[in-house]
Amino acid sequence: MDPEQVDEFVMGYLKKKGFNSAAKQLQEALHHNNGGTFNSTDYHNDPELTKLIRSFSQSENDPTRYRDGYSKLRSWAYNSLDLYKHELLRVMYPVFIHCYMDLVGKGHTREARAFFNSFRKDHEMIHLRDLQKLEGVLVPSHLEEMEFARSLRQSKVNIKICQYSYDLLLQYLHRTESTLMLGIINEHINFQVYSGQPNSSSDDIDAVTIVGSFQETADHINQKEIQWGLLEDSLEDRLEKTGSLLSDSEKGQGESKDGDVDDSKKRSNEIGKQGSSLKKLKKDKAGNATAKVARQETSIVSPAPRVKPELALPVMSTDVEESILEDLRNRVQLSSVAMPSVSFYTFVNTHNGLNCASISHDGSLVAGGFSDSSIKVWNMAKIGQAGSGALQGESDTNDQNVGPNGRRNYTLLLGHSGPVYSATFSPPGDFVLSSSADTTIRLWSTQLNANLVCYKGHNYPVWDVQFSPFGHYFASCSHDRTARIWSMDRVQPLRIMAGHLSDVDCVQWHPNCNYIATGSSDKTVRLWDVQTGECVRIFIGHRSMVLSLAMSPDGRYMASGDEDGTIMMWDLSTARCITPLMGHNSCVWSLSYSGEGSLLASGSADCTVKLWDVTSSTKLTKAEEKNGNTNRLRSLRTFPTKSTPVHALRFSRRNLLFAAGALSKPAS
Amino acid sequence: MQLAVEGEEKMSIVPKETIEVIAQSIGITNLSPEAALMLAPDVEYRVREIMQEAIKCMRHSKRTTLTASDVDGALNLRNLEPIYGFGSGGPIRFRKAIGHRDLFYTDDREVDFKDVIEAPLPKAPLDTEIVCHWLAIEGVQPAIPENAPLEVIRAPAENQIYQQKDGPLIDIRLPVKHVLSKELQLYFQKIAELTLSKSNPSLFKEALVSLASDSGLHPLVPYFTNFIADEVSRGLNDFLLLFNLMHVVRSLLQNPHIHIEPYLHQLMPSVVTCLVSRKLGNRFADNHWDLRDFTANLVALICKRFGNTYITLQSRLTKTLVNALLDPKKALTQHYGAIQGLAALGHNVVRLLVLSNLEPYLSLLEPELDAEKQKNQMKSYEAWRVYGAILRAAGLCIHDRLKIFPTLPSPSPSFPSKGKGKVISTEPNKRKLGVDSSENRSPHKRLIATDGSDGGPSPMQVDRPTGDANPPQNSVRPSSSEQASDGNAPESRNAKEKDDSKGRAITRKAILDQIWKDDLDSGRLLVKLHQLYGDRILPFIPSTEMSLFL
Repeated sequence: MDPEQVDEFVMGYLKKKGFNSAAKQLQEALHHNNGGTFNSTDYHNDPELTKLIRSFSQSENDPTRYRDGYSKLRSWAYNSLDLYKHELLRVMYPVFIHCYMDLVGKGHTREARAFFNSFRKDHEMIHLRDLQKLEGVLVPSHLEEMEFARSLRQSKVNIKICQYSYDLLLQYLHRTESTLMLGIINEHINFQVYSGQPNSSSDDIDAVTIVGSFQETADHINQKEIQWGLLEDSLEDRLEKTGSLLSDSEKGQGESKDGDVDDSKKRSNEIGKQGSSLKKLKKDKAGNATAKVARQETSIVSPAPRVKPELALPVMSTDVEESILEDLRNRVQLSSVAMPSVSFYTFVNTHNGLNCASISHDGSLVAGGFSDSSIKVWNMAKIGQAGSGALQGESDTNDQNVGPNGRRNYTLLLGHSGPVYSATFSPPGDFVLSSSADTTIRLWSTQLNANLVCYKGHNYPVWDVQFSPFGHYFASCSHDRTARIWSMDRVQPLRIMAGHLSDVDCVQWHPNCNYIATGSSDKTVRLWDVQTGECVRIFIGHRSMVLSLAMSPDGRYMASGDEDGTIMMWDLSTARCITPLMGHNSCVWSLSYSGEGSLLASGSADCTVKLWDVTSSTKLTKAEEKNGNTNRLRSLRTFPTKSTPVHALRFSRRNLLFAAGALSKPAS
Repeated sequence: MQLAVEGEEKMSIVPKETIEVIAQSIGITNLSPEAALMLAPDVEYRVREIMQEAIKCMRHSKRTTLTASDVDGALNLRNLEPIYGFGSGGPIRFRKAIGHRDLFYTDDREVDFKDVIEAPLPKAPLDTEIVCHWLAIEGVQPAIPENAPLEVIRAPAENQIYQQKDGPLIDIRLPVKHVLSKELQLYFQKIAELTLSKSNPSLFKEALVSLASDSGLHPLVPYFTNFIADEVSRGLNDFLLLFNLMHVVRSLLQNPHIHIEPYLHQLMPSVVTCLVSRKLGNRFADNHWDLRDFTANLVALICKRFGNTYITLQSRLTKTLVNALLDPKKALTQHYGAIQGLAALGHNVVRLLVLSNLEPYLSLLEPELDAEKQKNQMKSYEAWRVYGAILRAAGLCIHDRLKIFPTLPSPSPSFPSKGKGKVISTEPNKRKLGVDSSENRSPHKRLIATDGSDGGPSPMQVDRPTGDANPPQNSVRPSSSEQASDGNAPESRNAKEKDDSKGRAITRKAILDQIWKDDLDSGRLLVKLHQLYGDRILPFIPSTEMSLFL
């Protein structure tokens, strides 16, 4: 290598980079060198160094280097040993997207597109949604504008890799002198090297995670303490006391005998009622008996912690309380061998206009929100009384739609000025809340059939609204990336939860009312403290937008369903995914836990209702920790409907499962 | 809008021509190509952005197909004016512009106001309704029209997967899903009624035809086998019922659409019972011999059809029958059934199993036949039946032995078969032995014997669908009748025919001589049979051979 040539390269490099003063100095030094006997630095004689310098200057701006480097790395990774292959392939995706963004950032739009299209197929299976987003990025300014791209550029990817794979990768990069790839890997990937054999390929849920500021905050947030236990003195609590510790309470309340007599009278009455209602619901007493036994057992085995409410909760009237208690007593114990009955409400003649459906806690009221801004509420109990003809009446019985008093047999609620995206019933069923694209939330009374309040606060369409388990409070979430807590008596929100990086698509209350969970298009689920408005958990793992959430009745677990059909079970205290439940192949619109938390029902756009065994999937993880058993999938039953996507699901307090959906014409 | 297909070469999938067209449409005429090129990627980015928002709106409308209203919603989110004119529902039709590649426009027809005003009002759309049904009851989907059709086959498959995956951890109880349509249930009930009632023979015949030919009956086969097994074990005293049941079995066997093999093991015991049971119906009043003969043919049919697939079938069957035959303690009726069954199975079976045991058996039968020793008329009648059966079996066997030579042509076509029954019925030996009351019974018996033997396609033949069709037997008729007429007073009607056939027989004698000599075994057998039976075997020997033999 000619030393002068090297000098020239260095000069060119400095000039191009804009280090003018350095270039000047170098030039001076060179002149000085040429003139005098100054011993030149040894970089002229070191071939390695010159080569390096040359590669820098020659191809700094050459877009084909990305393509060459990436394709070489790719073929090397694909040809590596099967044992290490999956670990090495994990590296490919971050390298790919950063190569692409580098190319775009340097203005090589055409090359970037060609590069993207030629290697896109490799990553489509897992990262299709991200690729679709990135595909549109063509100009450097887009990189700045697009949040997703920005966050990718700023954060690092965490990849778990075994020692040997790591060494292989480094060896390859050094041997082939692919400095470009090495640079990208160093810049954007953070390796977590562990010793020993590589993990099995299936277990890569948290093998690739985003790090950087976001991950750090997530980790930090997830350290916070949360109290997931149920409220003390809840109805469930009281039921346990009255049911199992009857003798104790009698002993303790010896002096107030009168009250006790009343109580026992009431109880005997209830037992009578219970029998009749059981017959009605096709449930057997034996199941009920076992239910009680099992409940006792669980309460003995793992006494769930009790917490105090942080909100001032509304006082429940004794009538309502009694009816709920009776329902709880009559609850059928469900398990993997005792399946629930499913009652399905099919909306017909919706003309593709049904945006959401909601079922009241006792299943008697069904509300539908439509794209023509209307809300329609059906009272199924009344329709049932009117005769079975009305139930069977399909398209041909148009006149049956008009009730005896010349009206439709549903209540039409008009008030919104945009598609209604969500509706929710208050626990006793006396109120309905609806959210709409017109950015408002409206409160309706089912007794007056009238609009009571219009809550304005969100700036963009409100995607979801949910009543709290005790009524009075409700939570909403919107395209404006916030979730808000409201109370029925105030038109301004009580709390605003901000932090999601994209739309907040769904919201759900924790059973103890102290927390809400939100699912977002940024593919995370967050848990917020209602009292402080702080984010207390971030759940990372979904690969597409989160559409539905459900909390287990004991408050320990949460399930979330996404656009791809994946359902994830989370442990709230650790923020870890217990198990991904795969089975649906389209959007999971709705999730619901059974009353005692042993089953999870999921309703999907693939026209099925699936039942999942929650107890076994949580148990298995404990065993899994010991022996590494990865068999966690546990789908119990699939109920296909006749081309009806399942929009809403609800387990009644007696564990009857209600489902609703709009009949859609088969695609054929 | 023009879309570039070869996106790899362009900067953006939006070509600059599109930008230029849009610029012109909003009044910018002097757009430089560079500016268009610069704008194209940004346009693509914005369009993608809006489509992503539109997809969000679609998801929140709980749909999986994107509509124009979703795009409007997305534009609203960006505070942009929605694109009007596309919200009418239904898919938009694009048309290709003639002369331009990849240039499309929407088909927007001009509408005449007059037409619109004069057109009748469209029907009001149906109002939204809710229909309620049980998707599942305690985890099982009821088979109602509201539910998706059950996939019967899928359920066990799913179960298997679970078991493989979870091992003994789970206890899944699967509902027994056996779907039997209402129609099939009714059909089965009707057939069962008919079989049991016995009151309407013509209708029962129709039913048998239906059983033998209908194609959709396979789901009922287990029910029928069960039914038959039950009724046979219960109704051994009911002759007609048993006969009906055997008819049903035969019809089922004949049905080409039924795959009956898996149920044979259930069916066989009942059938064999009807063959060799001690008592079938009333001993005096019912003609259980008929039933035994019929069943014997049924057994033969089964062996013929399924003997190849179930190699042990015939051996097990013959073993049962031979055991029944050789057991002196068994009733004569049982012996009869066994003999008939064996005879129906073919001549080889008879030769190997019956003829070898013929001598001891006949000696056993001798006392029963003797009118002096056996006072019981019924017993002696039964004995004679058995004797007749065994004689016939042996005779047919030897006849077959003699007739295996294919060169022997059949003289039958010219022979009037109407006289056959009469001629044979007056068998001389019978009368010679002087059995009481044989006058009225013996013709009957002989009829049976001959009926079984002629399976050939004779036009006037009595209809016996399952006769053992041995073509050489065709020729038994002329010869046997000749013999009979020889022994008896010759009837004038047959005399001429007899001469004819004799004349023909002589011409064939040369050939026969040759063959006859070859088969010394047959000769020996014949001699032995003659010793045992005396002249009674002679009717079975064809005339040509007879002449030789004598």
